[in-house]
Amino acid sequence: MTKNAPAGVSIQRNSMLRRYMRRHWVLYAMLLLPVLYYIIFKYVPMVGNVLAFRRYRPGMSPFGTEWTMRYFERFLRDPMFWRAFRNTLVISVFNILVNFPIPIIFAILLNEVRIKPFQKFVQTVSYVPRFVSTVVVIAILNELLSPSSGLVNRLLESLGMEVIYFMNEPEWFRPVYILSETWQFTGWTAIIYLAAITSISPDLFEAAEIDGAGRLQRIWYVTVPCILPTIAVMLIINVGHMLRLGFEKVLLMYTPANSSVSDIIDTLVYRTGLQSQNYSYATAVGLFSGLIGLVLVISANTASKKLTGESIY
Amino acid sequence: MKRRSIGAGNLLFDVFVYLVMFFVLFCCLVPFLYMLAVSFSGRKPLVNGEVFLWPKEFTLDSYKQIFTYPNFFRAYGNTFLYAIAGTAIALVMTSLMAYPLSKKNLWGNRFFTKMVVVTMFFSGGLIPNYLLINTLRLAGTRFAILIPFAINSFNLIILINFFRSIPEEIEEAALIDGLGYFSILWRIVMPLSTAAVATIGLYYAVFFWNDWFNSLLYLRSDQYPVMMILRNIVNGTMVIGTGEGASEKTTIAISIKSAVIITSTVPIVVVYPFLQRFFVKGITIGGVKG
Repeated sequence: MTKNAPAGVSIQRNSMLRRYMRRHWVLYAMLLLPVLYYIIFKYVPMVGNVLAFRRYRPGMSPFGTEWTMRYFERFLRDPMFWRAFRNTLVISVFNILVNFPIPIIFAILLNEVRIKPFQKFVQTVSYVPRFVSTVVVIAILNELLSPSSGLVNRLLESLGMEVIYFMNEPEWFRPVYILSETWQFTGWTAIIYLAAITSISPDLFEAAEIDGAGRLQRIWYVTVPCILPTIAVMLIINVGHMLRLGFEKVLLMYTPANSSVSDIIDTLVYRTGLQSQNYSYATAVGLFSGLIGLVLVISANTASKKLTGESIY
Repeated sequence: MKRRSIGAGNLLFDVFVYLVMFFVLFCCLVPFLYMLAVSFSGRKPLVNGEVFLWPKEFTLDSYKQIFTYPNFFRAYGNTFLYAIAGTAIALVMTSLMAYPLSKKNLWGNRFFTKMVVVTMFFSGGLIPNYLLINTLRLAGTRFAILIPFAINSFNLIILINFFRSIPEEIEEAALIDGLGYFSILWRIVMPLSTAAVATIGLYYAVFFWNDWFNSLLYLRSDQYPVMMILRNIVNGTMVIGTGEGASEKTTIAISIKSAVIITSTVPIVVVYPFLQRFFVKGITIGGVKG
């Protein structure tokens, strides 16, 4: 790459800018389409959030007729919104409690497998669910958990237990959702921890062994402390993104019977906005949750900066 | 005495580790094996609920059936189209942006990078995006799937970081030899970045292959990908399988559904072991920063 940005007197600066451009305009030409893309497909929708403040009347422009705060007042008084808000929080918190530690444990145990080809095989297989579409996950779940023909219920029956309609009963929605996330992402998330574990110096393990540490002790006193920074950063990222639930999966699992627990903010936005075409109302709800997400991510980023001296982004 | 107790503990621990690993293998593989078994099984064992992990009364009927649906064939073609064209567009756009931004002393670099990072913190929601696609008159065209997802900011940053890890001397030599930036990107930088390009290419391909929600929002039914067909089967919009009596109908439907699951999942899962050797490098360089 060429020399750094010029400094100095403005006339000189001007001519230098021209010379700089003459040499490097190609780089800016490359940026042209992508930047246009960012403006149109990322920034215009961002600005489009003003829709939340525009009064929408059916039959007239979807961009509203006058400015108003009525949609915020309305959804803040809407019990459906608070139900969705609570559901989103509950699922997010349980999801982190379950699905944050599991990949760490899996990575540590996988690292303890001494037969390397077997280790590689397990790792490869554990990624596979990550590549499967949410529709496929739900279709598989429907089949495995079907009350009439599903494998699980046939097993329950043969054990003399009662058949459970997993995909329809409200109390089963959260466990099924969270475990399906475990199934899909454990292997994939473990990559990061495994990479951290393999970068630990073998000297540390040898020293621990000479000191007479057993394998459990080596894990506890060497592996865990060494990957603690990675764990901390990942926890921060997870908390920052906790409200970004698998909207598509929830939408596919949503049934009228389990709506009391399965209606989250995103599905509420989808139903009120795109199914009932209440654009402004839905945008207001979406904007509200987007702003909460923003606060979470910024706090996570600041926390990471304090902790590691480096921001996540 | 002490040594022996440690040895016994180690053995116990080994047993535990392998039990966990077999449990993971079981969980990851059984759903697919079951789908395979069901899709290849005959009617009678299915109705009697005898199929477990191995097909009974092996038959290809379900596959024959789905491939005679004109809808399915067209949808399968659409999926391939979106996955290939979408990934190609995305890779071109992402590398066109990543290459200039990988040059730290490019004028305006900080501004453009900020522009990208902001979108990772906050984005227009579902409704503004939906109205945008409609206002641009992309809805009802295949471009509604191909263009709006051309650049993913996380993938972009992985690629920028990777490009930065390439020694500058190589490019400087090429510049002196009179190569333009486009040729440097195409002939030098991209070939040196196979690991990262393969990694994010796979991410994009998986995204396009697996997407159904955007198809639901923006496409006409003849443009639907196969995931959308599966979605319609799952939520009962599309009825499959013919037979006498309700129970026989549902069991045949289950077999056909399994066949759709298998055919729609196998291609993307098969691609990935070939690209797997690139992952660790591609992911760790983009690192936690991704």
